[in-house]
Amino acid sequence: MDKLIITVLGKDKPGIVASVAKSLYQMDCNIQNVNQMILQNEFAGFFVIDHPPELDMEKITSRLTKDLEGKKLQVYIDELASPANGLSNGYEIDSGSEETFLITTIGPDQKGLVAKFTEIIAEFNVNITNLKAVFKGGDEPSANIMNYQVAILPDTDQAGLFKRLRAKAAELGLDISIQHKNIFETINKI
Amino acid sequence: MFNSHEILSTIEMVKNEHLDVRAVTLGINLFDCVSHDLEVFKKKIRAKIIKNASELVTVCDAVGEKYGISVVNKRISISPIGLVAAPFSAPEMVEIAHTLNDIAREVNIDFMGGFTALVEKGIASGDRALIDALPQALAETQRLCASVNVATTRSGINMDAVLDISRAIKKAALLTADEDGLACAKLCVFANIPQDMPFMAGAYLGVGVSDAVINVGVSGPGVVKKAIERALEKNPKLRLGQIAEIIKNTACKVTRVGELIGREVAQTLNIKFGVVDLSLAPTPTVGDSIGEIFQALGLTSIGVPGSTAALAMLNDAVKKGGAFASSHVGGLSGAFIPVSEDLNIAEAADKGYLSIEKLEAMTCVCSVGLDMVPVPGDISEETLAGIIADEMAIGMINNKTTATRLIPVPGKKAGDKVYFGGLLGEARIMDVPHATNKDCFVRYGGRIPAPIHSMKN
Repeated sequence: MDKLIITVLGKDKPGIVASVAKSLYQMDCNIQNVNQMILQNEFAGFFVIDHPPELDMEKITSRLTKDLEGKKLQVYIDELASPANGLSNGYEIDSGSEETFLITTIGPDQKGLVAKFTEIIAEFNVNITNLKAVFKGGDEPSANIMNYQVAILPDTDQAGLFKRLRAKAAELGLDISIQHKNIFETINKI
Repeated sequence: MFNSHEILSTIEMVKNEHLDVRAVTLGINLFDCVSHDLEVFKKKIRAKIIKNASELVTVCDAVGEKYGISVVNKRISISPIGLVAAPFSAPEMVEIAHTLNDIAREVNIDFMGGFTALVEKGIASGDRALIDALPQALAETQRLCASVNVATTRSGINMDAVLDISRAIKKAALLTADEDGLACAKLCVFANIPQDMPFMAGAYLGVGVSDAVINVGVSGPGVVKKAIERALEKNPKLRLGQIAEIIKNTACKVTRVGELIGREVAQTLNIKFGVVDLSLAPTPTVGDSIGEIFQALGLTSIGVPGSTAALAMLNDAVKKGGAFASSHVGGLSGAFIPVSEDLNIAEAADKGYLSIEKLEAMTCVCSVGLDMVPVPGDISEETLAGIIADEMAIGMINNKTTATRLIPVPGKKAGDKVYFGGLLGEARIMDVPHATNKDCFVRYGGRIPAPIHSMKN
């Protein structure tokens, strides 16, 4: 059975997940995976579901929109791309051989910061699996932090990528750390 | 997926709190190189060491780069030369020392340890040759480290060896008088020497081990100090049990880092992994000091009343954290208090907070001994032997490792400044009170018997 991914966006408040889950339950849908985050009081939730064969995407969208009416939430539903299909740019997801690194930059905020680093990462055809940006503004270096979690495949020019990133950080006056994720796991996940 | 706190605290530990892997030490067993022919022996040890160690530095650098944790020192420990080179004379031992020094340079490591004699119960011919060769061997080489084990809890203290080694220390100092007796900084005298210690100058590879093994020495006084300071800032009313818990947790994290790096280096080199030695080993850098931990714990300086208790708590918490983190903790795993290598401790000695007697008392509860202590150059062999014997007795009776690395600085007296440079640092020469040169105790020689609690079988 094809799976669907439902994205729910809106101002955060108590009961959003409960409302979505209740509606899906009443449609006999099974939530396989769910993740949510809150970014400056904005809620974003992602639900991967299995659905009964008689319910198509249109019917689920219609019912969910109705059930969430008045809650000022936006709902998007799409078919879930299978990892085996790869990404549209030809990048093949290979969770077995990739190595995850965390790239952290610390330094004064400036426009285009994310764009400048992600452009380099994309040039090396490296996938960003997580991105955290904590911009608090001002010139306090430790208050402006960006962290990119990237999956590096064996055929990636790792040394070349890291060299370019370090050069860019130096050019922008940022402190940069590039470390394999295992060091964070070793220190923090005891 | 890591949260911001996890990411930032990890980066903070590495960048600002000096968390590093202090030493990756490759232990190489040389017993299969034994020969009665000096040239054959030298050829064999060269071939074996280079075969195992040629990639050591490159691999350590690559693994350090991958994790963003610097592997500061890459070193080699070898089987005790007193045993594997037993057929040779003292001049031949000096030749072997030069060969080892050349090999160390060739594989680009900073120190090789294992110019070692194990003489706690008696001095065999190879050990005698090595001890006789020590002054010249250490004075003429740069990268070779030596150690002599003169006592164990099971065997007692070999007082003949204590006096012999005191004589060797004095000679080694004189041969390097123009460098403030630097040769002595590469010589440790031990009670209960560990066979798997990665830290210099005492590292050697014991018997009963495989052909090659990777042992890792992790440090982290800066990380421990910051953890204490942060906790006390949040809650100034913390009690000592809670502070010990914080030290233990921090030590646990640091040990895990060492094991991660060590295992990856070992795997890449296709060599067995041995142990992590979690020792809080300072450097002369501000923020990387054991002495500063005492200040974080609320003492004016290391050496003031309360210091021994604080050190006992620190050392124990470090061991407990290490034991929780890894099943393969070894070496010394505790706190070092080397005078010249720790800027804060050197200053404490300079200001009079820390005397040689207080240092000795503190070594009862920590993992090493009188380490990097410069003493007046005119100190007699007997007084030097007395200090060493006292330290060995602490180790023997308490069933723990103790050591001395004493440097009688030629031509200088108590209060004079000495500079060793680099990680060895600088310090003011410590006064050795009540050294009358009339005491004949050490001259009786023989062996101080093992204590009653050594009889455990």
